[in-house]
Amino acid sequence: MEIKTNSKLEKVLKNGHMAVTSECGPPRSSDSAGIIKKGHLIKDHVDCINITDNQTSVTRLCSLAACIHLKNEGLEPALQMVCRDRNRIALQSDILGAASFGINSILCLSGDHQSFGDHPSSQNVFDLDSMQLIQTARYMRDEGKFLGGDEIKEPPNLFVGAAANPFADPFHIRVPRLAKKIAAGAEFIQTQCVYNLDKFELWMKGVVERGLHEKVFILPGITPMRSVGMAKYMARAVPGMDVPKELIDRLSGVPKDKQAEEGITIAVEAIERLKECTGVKGFHIMAIEWEEKVPEIVERSGLYPRPDVG
Amino acid sequence: MIIGEQKPFDEIWEMVKDHKQLLVFGCNTCVAVCHQGGNKEAEILASLLRMRATQEEIDIDIINGGIERQCEHPFFESAKDLLDKSEAVLSLACGIGVQFVAEKYMNTPVYPALNTTFLGDVKADGLYTEKCQACGDCVLGVTGGVCPVSRCCKRIFNGPCGGSSNGKCEISKDLDCAWQLVVDRLEALGKMDDYEKLAPVKDWSKDRAGGPRSFKLEDF
Amino acid sequence: MIGVNPERVEFYNLSAAQGPRWAEICTEFTEKIITMGPSPIWFALQKKKQSAETEKQFA
Repeated sequence: MEIKTNSKLEKVLKNGHMAVTSECGPPRSSDSAGIIKKGHLIKDHVDCINITDNQTSVTRLCSLAACIHLKNEGLEPALQMVCRDRNRIALQSDILGAASFGINSILCLSGDHQSFGDHPSSQNVFDLDSMQLIQTARYMRDEGKFLGGDEIKEPPNLFVGAAANPFADPFHIRVPRLAKKIAAGAEFIQTQCVYNLDKFELWMKGVVERGLHEKVFILPGITPMRSVGMAKYMARAVPGMDVPKELIDRLSGVPKDKQAEEGITIAVEAIERLKECTGVKGFHIMAIEWEEKVPEIVERSGLYPRPDVG
Repeated sequence: MIIGEQKPFDEIWEMVKDHKQLLVFGCNTCVAVCHQGGNKEAEILASLLRMRATQEEIDIDIINGGIERQCEHPFFESAKDLLDKSEAVLSLACGIGVQFVAEKYMNTPVYPALNTTFLGDVKADGLYTEKCQACGDCVLGVTGGVCPVSRCCKRIFNGPCGGSSNGKCEISKDLDCAWQLVVDRLEALGKMDDYEKLAPVKDWSKDRAGGPRSFKLEDF
Repeated sequence: MIGVNPERVEFYNLSAAQGPRWAEICTEFTEKIITMGPSPIWFALQKKKQSAETEKQFA
């Protein structure tokens, strides 16, 4: 498979290895020390580190700046970009900015609605949607032009990814929606965190039936539960999240001080099971504010050390 | 049609209380349908303002009136005398009407009694829902008659997003997910193949972003 | 918003043939209002009248 960018993630995937990615949230501060520390915690256990973009519409140090900090530390960041806060001018501009610092991967997202965050009275932009942002990033790279048609002197060379949520409704369009993202130009997919393994495998079945697993690299999202409280909260309050009752029961059945450990074990078991699932090409481990557990999860799942792809 | 909601009474009172004479001026078309700004509502509001003025021992001569529509010149004929003599006007029209009156009466302060909220339908008596945002480039033909601009809170053209849950939008359980509705309609019409067509990037210059819009018919 | 107790307003539904019921309602409601006393609007109007008369006296 032809390698198009300098993205370590692309190289790992196209060389036939299982990829591991993770994600970190920047601080609500102008001090970058925290995000740099998180990056160093996980750098040897993942192929690239996503930096979230004002996640849940809560204002944070921007993804681009945090990516630059990590890049300066010799790490491999992936820029997450939402459509909520920037118009097409700013989006293309930030893509050029990222490329100018040698940031190699981008994840194109719609973005949570601003009513969830700390500035619910703000305007939202949504000049483009995530599908159109994927097209834009690919167009800039492959055609070397801005959306408006003008030439880009030095086109940005980014490995382009998108998100998928097999657990949102309506279920029956979630495979067609993946097809659409692939048609738009997505090269890798990171999914919403997977707890309902049966449903995920059902979605993958539909994906494989259409041969989509050969057109895009799919990385299911894995988030370890820290407590039964967290599991209940996610089941109740997070849209598009599917937390099976068996999982909540399993965590309840364990004493409070052992629940975190159990959560990690559940995550590792999920990875072991999904490794066998056709079409799964790696894992996206999201342990937000619990990044110190990522190395353990990666090691216990037999995904360490990470391959050296030069 | 245009939907508006009367401002809180205290807010209206604060706007007008310093005048000695006031015309409470209704508009009997759109805002009468949602029972907020019609001539009848103007009469009621005038009465409430008089009661408030009396209690606060403030002397204001408050009269009420109204016309069919405050957005077209001919309708103002019948109220010309009333408006000429008014020191101030509290208009119950939508923002359009308020501005129209202000333009016609440069030296008379005009206050809005309503907050103009949206373009919507009368789903049921007393229930009005937003249906159009006047984006200037209608895509209803390809979305099975459901508008992604006004009914999707992220105005996604290739939806739904990952927050759609049980046919409801992530921001509220009371809000239908517009893209669930689009999918339902496409299914009913046997047009699910259209779902995978990538919607092109929107030209927002035809919308508010391009600046205030106007439309002129050449043969007039 | 205008300081009047909502209990001063009541909606009843009856037909023209319900004479006795009408008389009943009128009596009931009158008694209720008498117990509640004059409304704040009445007091305000009284005050207005008095100050208008006082002004006339001094004029």
